[in-house]
Amino acid sequence: MKFKNDDNNQIRDRVGLGWRRELALGILSHLDRIDVVEVIADDLFDAPRGERRALRTLSAQTAVVLHGVSLGLASSVPVETKLLEKTARLCEEVTPDYWSEHLAFVRGGGVEIGHLTAPPRTDATIEGASANLELARKVVGSAPLVENIATLIDPPGSDYDEIDWVNRIIYSAPCDLLLDLHNLHANATNFGYDAMEFLIGLPAERITAVHLAGGKWVEALGERRLLDDHLHDVPDAIYKLLSELAAMAPHSLTVVLERDGAYPPIEVLLRQLDRAREALAEGRSRRFELIEKEAA
Amino acid sequence: MSASRLEAFLAKIYVDENSRERFLADPRGEAAKAGLSEPEIEALEKIDRAGLILTAQSLQKKRQRLTGK
Repeated sequence: MKFKNDDNNQIRDRVGLGWRRELALGILSHLDRIDVVEVIADDLFDAPRGERRALRTLSAQTAVVLHGVSLGLASSVPVETKLLEKTARLCEEVTPDYWSEHLAFVRGGGVEIGHLTAPPRTDATIEGASANLELARKVVGSAPLVENIATLIDPPGSDYDEIDWVNRIIYSAPCDLLLDLHNLHANATNFGYDAMEFLIGLPAERITAVHLAGGKWVEALGERRLLDDHLHDVPDAIYKLLSELAAMAPHSLTVVLERDGAYPPIEVLLRQLDRAREALAEGRSRRFELIEKEAA
Repeated sequence: MSASRLEAFLAKIYVDENSRERFLADPRGEAAKAGLSEPEIEALEKIDRAGLILTAQSLQKKRQRLTGK
């Protein structure tokens, strides 16, 4: 494997945690072990001024990134400008290192789905996503990182595999990828493809951030699927993927652990951050060895 | 144009139980009624039924968690 634009001395991977009210005390007490905090943008769109001020205070103490969940960018329908304007105001106020959103649709025909859903993987949603991302860049002032989502259903009416669809979007838009490794793992498990091959098929130079999470098995009509629920610990397979990604990525990665409930003691989450650091270090070490070997 | 109709149709069957039941009983009829194209109707006839049920359940739980209901 050939690596370009390498400057090993400049690689500084960061590992952090998603901000949740229930974890606030634990996060604030352990900022020495948390390099970055990811805040859900939508929680703050209409938050009282005090809460937004608290976020500014937090961003003075540690790196903060914003993560959106309601834009519905991967849709043939144009994104709502008022949501982009709210994102723009928040970015202006908080000055995050970056902001991110999902390759998902969240509403259609006046129906609010209430969560992230995989759209049909077609030229129409690729073109729609591309146009929406361009509009997002214009209104917010910077392009978001875009995140692959987990799905329990193979989206009906699709013409592309997930990897082709994701690659076509990121090559047609000015956006890098926030790669959710548990979403990748869950989709690969549920729809019978190899997660590692999927990872290798992505442009490593376009992956700048990573999500880690856990999930559980669910069942219907005698079929089992892996649900990405953010309520369980990160499984071993995800650290393996992270290590592989670190061996591929030519620049620093920001890695965020997402936990949305069934909160364990903060020490349990911090140990998962440590495991992520170990996986990154292992991958980086393999990468540097390979580069040295090629240079020799 | 039909792409947005397909997204609207999916949103409805993911979220609304009655629409989903009607669709599962007669996929072609319900999809045709929504004005979808023939390839879209054919795709919906072959829908991943387990995936549809699990998606609907998961979305309902997430909405309940958000609204506390």
